[in-house]
Amino acid sequence: MRAGFLFGEVGNGLRRNTSMFVAVVLVTMVSLFFLGSGLLAQRQVDTLKGYWYDKVQVSIFLCTPDSTDVASCAGGGVTEVQREGLTGDLDRLDGLVEEYWYESNEQAYERFREQFRNSPVLDSIPQDAIPESFRVQLADPTKYEVVASAFEGAPGVESVEDQREVVDRLFTFLNAVSLSAVGLAAAMVVCAVLLISTTIRLTAWSRRRETNIMRLVGASAFTIHTPFLVETVLATLLGAGLSIGLLWAMVQYGISGFLTDLLAGQTGMIGLIGPRDLWVITPILVGGAVLLAVVTSWLALRRHVRV
Amino acid sequence: MITFENVTMRYAKGDTPALQSVDVEIGRGDFVFVVGASGSGKSTMMRLIILEKEATQGRVLVAGKDLSRLPNRKVPGLRRQVGTVFQDFRLLSGKTVHQNIAYVLQVLGARRHTIRQLVPETLELVGLQGKGKRLPHELSGGEQQRVAIARAMVNKPPILLADEPTGNLDPETSQEIVAILDRINRTGTTVVMATHDTTIVNRFRKRVVQLRDGVLVRDQAEGEYEAVEERLV
Repeated sequence: MRAGFLFGEVGNGLRRNTSMFVAVVLVTMVSLFFLGSGLLAQRQVDTLKGYWYDKVQVSIFLCTPDSTDVASCAGGGVTEVQREGLTGDLDRLDGLVEEYWYESNEQAYERFREQFRNSPVLDSIPQDAIPESFRVQLADPTKYEVVASAFEGAPGVESVEDQREVVDRLFTFLNAVSLSAVGLAAAMVVCAVLLISTTIRLTAWSRRRETNIMRLVGASAFTIHTPFLVETVLATLLGAGLSIGLLWAMVQYGISGFLTDLLAGQTGMIGLIGPRDLWVITPILVGGAVLLAVVTSWLALRRHVRV
Repeated sequence: MITFENVTMRYAKGDTPALQSVDVEIGRGDFVFVVGASGSGKSTMMRLIILEKEATQGRVLVAGKDLSRLPNRKVPGLRRQVGTVFQDFRLLSGKTVHQNIAYVLQVLGARRHTIRQLVPETLELVGLQGKGKRLPHELSGGEQQRVAIARAMVNKPPILLADEPTGNLDPETSQEIVAILDRINRTGTTVVMATHDTTIVNRFRKRVVQLRDGVLVRDQAEGEYEAVEERLV
């Protein structure tokens, strides 16, 4: 079979079944879009984990004059002696603590003012209400419990907070997004499989005279099946291309553009996925599209196009 | 060229057989009329030869190959040895005469200059020179059947099967068609034609293989065929 003839046959098939072709393109596009979104969300989780786990700290907030309702702060604000005692304790946890630093009440208030510069509550919070704290960088972020139990309830300590908890909540959310996207993708892939086999059945029916003649004159299975296969692969590749376009737009304008700007003001630099992450998953999407087309076509052709 | 050894064919288990213990030997270059009433098993014989169906019992040999042992991937190769023509022509309505015939060669992967050479040659063989650009619906029934014959012969198969090729044609055109088959036969092609047209059979005086309810009842060189005798039985 020569290439010109093959493409002629493919062209004929497409002309006869344009609507089904478009349907296959769109279903593939949607299913791969969901799959891609799921994979990107997963990469976002990984990126953020790497980024945050380097940064998250355990904060040991010290008593303020206002925090007398906490047992360990019964004596009012933290005293010089208590503070030195805590410093000593932190030094002794050498293996667990990577480093720690002290944030004074003035520094903490400054940071607070900066963070909530646009908020009306700012003026109603006195400087005294903002606690001074030790910021502890753990050598192993998962050993939080050990550190927490060492300082929770110690004299002069109001509370111990693990920022990782906050971050982990975000990860749980992103993982859920990722899983639902992949779940939707799976449902859409089932749709795509059914649609492709229906399309092949219809195309086979509309082309049965040609196929019959091909069989009679002794065309090989390869010759008879290839035009169908090429049509399906073309449709899914087109769908994959469109879904990659959509994902790119989402990453470029939605995440890199919008979210980064939004978050930059709050927390400074933040690790978000960019178009490069999309190029990493592109081969998976394209390969998935081709695999989907080839396997489904092969099964459908065996059923509907006898040689 | 074609051998049936004790062939029985049932389309479904428990059915009365469409062919029953048929033994026929058709040699290279033979011209054979397979005759019999509708449902006598003529078309079944044709289907077995191109492996459209497999015999339930017995052996069918075509061009030296035992069809019951032919692996699937070799079936196309067998069909290239056998040209087929049907009562309903089976031309592609959207393609011209030339394209209909060229289609076979394209499917089989022939080069363009081979196609340019073979198609007009084959059109001449069936007497349709100069009509390559017509569409099937612009042709008479006889001309359409000639296109079908040209299509079956364009890749020069050693065997030509014709299943009731004159069934849709008037007597005069029918004779023209069989005359073409006769001419093809004289170039060395084995021709097997299923028919129930007594006039044709009696006019051309070829070998006659007669079937009745799937049983071979007569195999006669230069035979005759009286459909009347079937009605009397």
